[in-house]
Amino acid sequence: MDAAERENHAAMKRWSKDAKIGEGTYAVVYRGRQSSTGRQVAIKKIKVGQFKDGLDMSAVREVKYLRELKHPNVIELLDVFSSKQNLNLVLEFLESDLEAVIKDRSNVFKPADIKSWMAMTLRGLEFCHRNFVLHRDLKPNNLLIAADGQLKIADFGLARDFADPGHKMTCQVITRWYRPPELLFGCRFYSTAVDIWSVGCIFAELMLRVPYLAGESDMDQLKTIFRALGTPTEQEWPGHTSLPHYVVVGNFPKSPLQFLFTAASADAIDLLSKFLIYEPRRRISAKDALYHPYMFSLPYPTHPSKLPKASAPMQPRPVHIEETEGQGAALSAKATKRKASEDPFENSKPVSRRLEF
Amino acid sequence: MSSSTRLNWLKTTTRQRNGASSSATATSKNVPTVYNGGVKDASGRTSEYSSMDDECPVCKSDRYLNPKLRLLVSTCYHKMCESCIDRLFTLGPQGCPICGKILRKMAFAPQTFEDLTVEKEVAVRRRIAKEFNKRREDFADLRSYNDYLEEVEDITFNLINEIDVAETEARIAAFRRENAALIELNIQREERDIQGLQEQEMRERREREEMAEEMRRIAEEERIEREKAKEEIINRLESSDASATDLIAKSRAEAAKRAARRKPLAGLSASSARARLNGTAHSAVQAQDVPHVPLTDTWYACEDKYVLRAEYDDPLSERVRADEQGAMRAGGYMLEQAWERALRTAVMGLNIMPLEDEPASGSARVAGDVEMVG
Repeated sequence: MDAAERENHAAMKRWSKDAKIGEGTYAVVYRGRQSSTGRQVAIKKIKVGQFKDGLDMSAVREVKYLRELKHPNVIELLDVFSSKQNLNLVLEFLESDLEAVIKDRSNVFKPADIKSWMAMTLRGLEFCHRNFVLHRDLKPNNLLIAADGQLKIADFGLARDFADPGHKMTCQVITRWYRPPELLFGCRFYSTAVDIWSVGCIFAELMLRVPYLAGESDMDQLKTIFRALGTPTEQEWPGHTSLPHYVVVGNFPKSPLQFLFTAASADAIDLLSKFLIYEPRRRISAKDALYHPYMFSLPYPTHPSKLPKASAPMQPRPVHIEETEGQGAALSAKATKRKASEDPFENSKPVSRRLEF
Repeated sequence: MSSSTRLNWLKTTTRQRNGASSSATATSKNVPTVYNGGVKDASGRTSEYSSMDDECPVCKSDRYLNPKLRLLVSTCYHKMCESCIDRLFTLGPQGCPICGKILRKMAFAPQTFEDLTVEKEVAVRRRIAKEFNKRREDFADLRSYNDYLEEVEDITFNLINEIDVAETEARIAAFRRENAALIELNIQREERDIQGLQEQEMRERREREEMAEEMRRIAEEERIEREKAKEEIINRLESSDASATDLIAKSRAEAAKRAARRKPLAGLSASSARARLNGTAHSAVQAQDVPHVPLTDTWYACEDKYVLRAEYDDPLSERVRADEQGAMRAGGYMLEQAWERALRTAVMGLNIMPLEDEPASGSARVAGDVEMVG
């Protein structure tokens, strides 16, 4: 037994596995405990055997980025070990996610609650961006809620670090309803602004209690966005017509956000409109958003321990729904509804499954 | 179909706001149509009555000819379609085409009930209830309260059936004059009552949750104890050489004793749950909301070790910069971020002391050199 194996064996001994709590296409999640302290953890077992070309990319990404990110609002990766054919990630155990909280109709959200969740999301995201990591799959389902009410960004299966100048990135990321228009137009050079758009959609969803921009296909998504926010002009978003998949999607007029978000304060509307600016370079950054007047104005953000919680226990959530050919049928009903980012069937053009780094 | 229901909020924005919708044709003229009336449900939305056999009594257009047909009700309780309203009343108040009463465009309301007399009664009753809001406490005896209720019913009946309208209105005005202060007070009381009710509901919900949690905990404890007892029996059977049946009987008796001890505890824990509930309510008060603090972590990103310039002589990113108005710019790629990253990674290791117990002198020397540079 060499040193690495011994190390791995010691790590395996530190954790004990319990009941299964969720299953996705590439991983199974178990409830677990730290053997020495009894602390509850979640163990994500990644099936290695079934992938012809080695370890699944999202597992690599998850380990790579979570290893570096330690922040109160980012899920903590406690340990990694392998057992037999599988890779095991030991993660913090978190009770529920923001989606369950939003869907629980018995909850009433006060403006202060929304502010508190937004502040926590932005703090976590700002930390990722400060470390040059793009999350690329922000949605309520990936914002987990700890027992003490702290919100934590999870699922780094699509994350990557900022690209070098001139390097292409894939545009098939971020769950459709939270995907910014530049990705829908097939842009291969983007930045932190893509995550900010998702945050804007989540902000709107917290106020509306239903997904704000729920498109049924990529094309319909663009239409939904433009119907809600108006079709961008060349002046608002210089150069967008030259993006690879640019299409003309009707001409919709702009209507003030206040019409839909009737209960929102002027500050909140201002911040939301800055999250949803078409031109990515002008979109507010996570840090600037944290310093926006909305955050400082009254009411103060609710203390995390007092935030509304989901009363129902968390549904077994699909761990990561990445559709690969022929596996689509195996997905749960929920998984198919909130479809994750990469979906080769929907696109007009067949997209190869290779993800470039 | 599903798409149209999902996107409903996009199309019915105004309906949610004003309790009434204005069709595309109405908004295009920039006339915000404000309707009063219609019956709101609990969520504050107006539910609207419409049927397949709707027909505008004025223009005889029906749902077959115009699938978007929407009939609104005038203050004289006659229906007509939105386009008739637009046509007749855009230029100012006009007589109702059915009864001749002078109407305005703004005063049309969506219909909630199939029967318009019901619609009218609901509207009248709501109006009356707003002002005639005296309570039993405001009267000396039951008799005078009953008299008051009868009077209110009388007025309502008159208004609904349009009997002596002028005289009834005078009665209402007189009542309003006499009781202005009391009406105001009762409105405030009502609001307080509603608030109190909501708070109580919330308290009860919390209590229920707390109880359920407690029950779960007890069940879990019991399960663990049972398992422990089972293990103990097995251990004893293994180690002792007394007869097996004796041992099992003894363990059973012990378990029963333990269970009996737990019973009163269960009752106790319910009350303790309540005590704890008050405790949590107390601690919830203690967990004060504090003003927003933008950043709470102390992770140091070496920002003070470099100054990012606006422009660098960077042959690697030549291609990106040349594309100033093209796809790269439109996609939001920020060259500054790449430069910042390069700078940060360059300064990251500065000022870090070499490890104490590093045996190799070579690595220590390298670290020292770096420190001198920093």
